[in-house]
Amino acid sequence: MAEFKNQTPKDVQADLVIADGPTLTKGEKARRALRSQSGWLFMIPALALMAVFTFYPIIAAFINSFKVNYSAMTGSFDKWGFENFIRVLKGDTGTGGASFVQCLVNTLVFTFVSVPLSTLLALLISVALNSIKAVQKAYQTILFLPYLTNALAMGAVFATFFSVIGTKTQLETGADGSTWGLVNLILGTKIDWTGITSPHWEIGEALSIPWAKYIVVIVYEVWSGLPFKILILFSALQSINKQYYDAAKVDGASRSTVLWKITAPMISPQISYLLVTGIMGGMKQYSAIVGIFGVEMGMDYDMGTMVGYLYRYIELGQTGYAFAGSLMLFIIIMFITWINNMVTKKRTTYK
Amino acid sequence: MAKKKTETEQIVTPEEQVVLPQDSEELAVESPAVVAEEQAPVVENSGSVQFEQAPTEFDVERQLKKQKTQRIVKDVFVYIFLTFCALLAFLPFYWMVMSSVKTEPEFREAVPTFFPKTFQWGNYSLVLHQTSSGNNGGSFGQILINTIVVGLLSTTLGVILTILTAYALARMEFKGKNILFAVMLATMMIPGEMYTLSNYIVVAKLGWTDSYTVLILPFLVSVYYIYLLRNNFMQIPNSLYQAAKVDGLSDLGYLIKVMVPLTAPTLISITLLKFIGTWNSYIWPRLVNTENWQMITNWVTGGFVDRVQADGSTMYDGLYGQSESLNTLKMAAVCMVSAPLFVLFLTCRKYIMRGVSKSGTKG
Repeated sequence: MAEFKNQTPKDVQADLVIADGPTLTKGEKARRALRSQSGWLFMIPALALMAVFTFYPIIAAFINSFKVNYSAMTGSFDKWGFENFIRVLKGDTGTGGASFVQCLVNTLVFTFVSVPLSTLLALLISVALNSIKAVQKAYQTILFLPYLTNALAMGAVFATFFSVIGTKTQLETGADGSTWGLVNLILGTKIDWTGITSPHWEIGEALSIPWAKYIVVIVYEVWSGLPFKILILFSALQSINKQYYDAAKVDGASRSTVLWKITAPMISPQISYLLVTGIMGGMKQYSAIVGIFGVEMGMDYDMGTMVGYLYRYIELGQTGYAFAGSLMLFIIIMFITWINNMVTKKRTTYK
Repeated sequence: MAKKKTETEQIVTPEEQVVLPQDSEELAVESPAVVAEEQAPVVENSGSVQFEQAPTEFDVERQLKKQKTQRIVKDVFVYIFLTFCALLAFLPFYWMVMSSVKTEPEFREAVPTFFPKTFQWGNYSLVLHQTSSGNNGGSFGQILINTIVVGLLSTTLGVILTILTAYALARMEFKGKNILFAVMLATMMIPGEMYTLSNYIVVAKLGWTDSYTVLILPFLVSVYYIYLLRNNFMQIPNSLYQAAKVDGLSDLGYLIKVMVPLTAPTLISITLLKFIGTWNSYIWPRLVNTENWQMITNWVTGGFVDRVQADGSTMYDGLYGQSESLNTLKMAAVCMVSAPLFVLFLTCRKYIMRGVSKSGTKG
């Protein structure tokens, strides 16, 4: 947004001045009028599509979330009111649905653990990458590899890292065809990380612990978030004027002082940008969780996210709850944006 | 400290001298003083006996050596850290490919093997004949055709639409333009899920489900790409426009002959990102279409089982049931979906990064 403001087009302003000038002939005026029409002509296709697929849906979402027992297909509803919101928050929506509070907590945990963690790690990696000369390009390429991936596909790969296969007895006796999986082998642990691993397990046999599932998601989120953050931070680091570092060296500043007192403040706009976009993206995550835990998002949506919640209720045909949920997601995102703006205004040192 | 350090660096890496000639000149003049200055506190700290002693040649040598070692230790540490991170970044890809050619029993060994003992390429041909849900879904071929047709159509139409709209917003004058643009930008703040819900109801009511139209139309307009291209158009000097007018070019002619070629890099970025977006789309196709009309990412969520093949045999002789999803098959499917992205990334990295580094979103 800031970028947009800075690029106020001088030439276009000049054009405007000419257009408003009093010295225009009649023919000139007519030509300008025609041009103003053709402007709309260029806009029509996009505007028509946006009217149907963007503007109308937003208004509809606001209105429909207040329709109690709303049936999308017939358009029928009982009355107007806040019941949808109350039932969504209370988890009183009938059977088969996910819990809104659970999904909200999951989303917040995933986001507010993985985003700062991956930003910090990206900062360290970028600083390290910036300080080397030999084979810098090679490291850069490898670190950027996870950049363009299919979240669902890579989620499935992470699920196999953590997967535990076999019945409880098989695992205990170490029978053929049963394995604790790669991560357990490396860590020397015996944890059923994903809790969805084996169809052979009887109900109640699962050894899953709730935080283990969160760790799987967070590991994935950090891994997939790193390349973009490294890209941004690394290019920011390279654009810092070297004189600051020379001055710090003259003053005998230690390495960590340089990092936290010079480097970090100099790239604080990029860091805050990454935090904002990371949190925004995190609030809307869905595909990766499906990739890891399957379309049911764990056991009965216990790893569900906000977006997962919405789609669950569309599938169930209870669109009123889905609309109410989407409106709350919107409010939460607006709230986070607002807090972000407050914090960034105070903390960030824009040049 | 600074000069000293640089001097040490130059000893370690002589090529720096070429890069920073002015630095070395300064050094030649200043370094003795700096060294002496530096030496003082060290001597002070090391005890009263040496307090009065002037720094000897030996001390300087030792100091240089010490800094050299420090630098080497630091470098080693940095390289170890980076290598570790690079390995972790690469590991999932390696694991994915290796798992996709293992046999299922090998995948399930208690101690996972890092390199397959036997390569079972049959995994790939087996998943090719499987669908996202059992027997009646669309074949891989069908789903691939869907993805390519939808990808090409929505990319082409989307880019044309983006060009027209961005041009109107950047170069043309009409009433309400600024308000319109502000409203369009404001929609970027709203989570897409909010309109996905209503869109679903709209297309369901219109009876558009199970068609390509429903996969293409709702995503043709991307405000972000319009914004990106508009900014790019703005950077083209207006004098070019006036020159074109003098030459009798129409707005459309100017757009096609001047603006589009000049903003080709941005347009390539947008094209690539749009196609990648289609390739990765998962939620919408699943919501509006049944299996035959879905996209490639939907196919990956299927449980890939040891299916009975045309000749009546199964790969593992019925060892794994018809309901048990096999990891090796799943990884083969995942590889097939990831490979095009991988190739695209390696060949068009510059363009993709240019587009994404400004948006913070993937496709």
